[in-house]
Amino acid sequence: MPVNSPPAPQPSLVLDTLTNPGLPNDECPRRARIQLDLLLLAIEALDLSGSEAMLAISRELALEGLVKGRVHLWLLRGTNPMRRYSQRRPLQLEEAKALVMISCALARRLAVLVRQLLVGYQQLADRQLSPEHHFRLADYLSRFRSHFRARMNPRRAGVIAYSTDEKLDELAIQLLQQLLLCAGVLGSQRLWSSLFDGEVS
Amino acid sequence: MTVQRQYTLPHCNLVLEGLSADANDPLSPLAVLMNAECRLPGVTDATLAGGREFLDSLVAAVSRYGQQLLSGVASPPLGTTPPIVEVKPGEGTYHHLIVHQQPLGQPLSDENAQPPLDIKLTTVQFYDLMEAVDQLLADTQTLPDLTAQFQAVSRRLVQPSEPVAQRAAPAALGAAVLAAAGLALFFVPPPEFDPTRRSPESTTPAETSPDSLQTNPPAATRDSSTNFDDSSAKPAAAAAVGGLEGLETAPAITDAATLALLQSDVTRLLQEAWADAPRPSGDLTYRMVVSEDGDILGYKYENDLALDEVDNTPLPQLTFQRVDGAEPVREQVAQFIATFTPAGEVVVEPTQSVTPSAAAEALPPLESKITDGDRIRALNSTLYDTLLADLEPLSASEDLRFRVRLAESGDVVGYEPLNAPAGLLAPETPLPGLVTAANSDRNQADFQVVFAEDGVLEVSPWDGWP
Repeated sequence: MPVNSPPAPQPSLVLDTLTNPGLPNDECPRRARIQLDLLLLAIEALDLSGSEAMLAISRELALEGLVKGRVHLWLLRGTNPMRRYSQRRPLQLEEAKALVMISCALARRLAVLVRQLLVGYQQLADRQLSPEHHFRLADYLSRFRSHFRARMNPRRAGVIAYSTDEKLDELAIQLLQQLLLCAGVLGSQRLWSSLFDGEVS
Repeated sequence: MTVQRQYTLPHCNLVLEGLSADANDPLSPLAVLMNAECRLPGVTDATLAGGREFLDSLVAAVSRYGQQLLSGVASPPLGTTPPIVEVKPGEGTYHHLIVHQQPLGQPLSDENAQPPLDIKLTTVQFYDLMEAVDQLLADTQTLPDLTAQFQAVSRRLVQPSEPVAQRAAPAALGAAVLAAAGLALFFVPPPEFDPTRRSPESTTPAETSPDSLQTNPPAATRDSSTNFDDSSAKPAAAAAVGGLEGLETAPAITDAATLALLQSDVTRLLQEAWADAPRPSGDLTYRMVVSEDGDILGYKYENDLALDEVDNTPLPQLTFQRVDGAEPVREQVAQFIATFTPAGEVVVEPTQSVTPSAAAEALPPLESKITDGDRIRALNSTLYDTLLADLEPLSASEDLRFRVRLAESGDVVGYEPLNAPAGLLAPETPLPGLVTAANSDRNQADFQVVFAEDGVLEVSPWDGWP
């Protein structure tokens, strides 16, 4: 039977592992939007071709219906209220699930590097040395700082809290740890439920 | 048949031993868990071991702490009994795995209780522990009943980041300050409101602002025990209109002639200024204080309507603004009652009953006028000649205007000064000596007589030339 229109896009099956939290509406809370964007920012700082990898992995996971290309991904990440060009659109739960799947898949791919960086950071911290002594770690931190400062609105109260290099390094290390925790077999489910901590009734 | 399942990661080794449900199938799930062992190579030599209870507690603690690391939201422990395994954040990037171990097979008592095992883990080591647990949870062929139960922390269970005492401090401080202020103000007597008394604070701006209607600031030190105390008046407006204090001590003008002149002067002044104003619904009565020069120094309402309609009268504009408002007035003043009638007339009466001299008295309105034009012309020239004959140089610095009434015979019935200098200088003119006829009902005519400043005499019929 000939059809006149392409079949309606089916929701990706990989999202079924993430159960809907008991939220009153289908929009992501503020903290979840910030967290997802920052995790992706950390991935970009780790991987120079991170933004390309995000699009590639979304195709791999059959998430094109939710993340429709580069601009749409930028719009989704722009729901982070700390952004310089913050979007006033809500982030739907399905879209957030797609971002979670992308983050976790990339985190799994980068898990070895993340482990190395964290071990190196721990060794430096034990000897009370600054992260500059670890070449790869210093690289990551400086790239994260420049990404953060280029994209976040410095007049926002949430961004002012990270005005110094030390504060930004702290945030970068924290995100590195969170990326590692996302990399496990159940990482996406852990990340997903953690996004709504303190938001559900 | 005993089976062993092992989950191995760089820093964590989780081994489960149990009886398989199906002895023939090596991949069948465990029916009974006999022992769970967790070794942390590279971290500690101790082996964490226990039964199902230990494993459940380990899974719950690791799951909860992992979620806390991801979200930054601390979740309160579930249940009242202390769990066997706890994970707590440590200094820096370290984490503490605390295990309350008890010897296997012995009931827990005080004698054999061991101190809890505290294991310091880095994030990577904790990740390995969590990953081992996750692999166990994801494995459907080991313990199918043990599955991941991820649940976001409820809003009600989230502990606020600030302790209660810190959050309550601003409110407590505010309440304390309010109580202290209340206690302090308790001893301050409530201010007594006196509508007639005006404080210096309220009068000072009135003096300095030129467009203020209040033009007569009173002396603040003066008490209000005057005869103008009107307790029935509206208190708020009383402060705005009142203001004869300071004038009460001024010496009164006693000369009847001067009073009469002032009276006519002020009447004319008010009448002219009031010509265009809207007419009131009833009589507006004011008590005025007028200086010797004819300036209105102050006024005060005598009835409530007068208070309401004061802005429609010319009084606020005409009142002379004294500079030294607080000083009592030293010059001589006269007091009048001014009544603005709904018909549009202004009646000014002196407050003290004076007996003005007959000559200077205001002339009553003419009842029967001479209408014959020739007669009027004749009378006009007669009057002019008579006056000119007796006229001597006057000391006046401005025109003296009079209204002179003549009987049909040509005799002067009376005269009325029209401006203040005319009243004062009337004795210098021939007019007082000319009054011969008494007032009567007979036909009369009024003439305007002007002794000009430069000595020119003008006489004209009051109602215009016929």
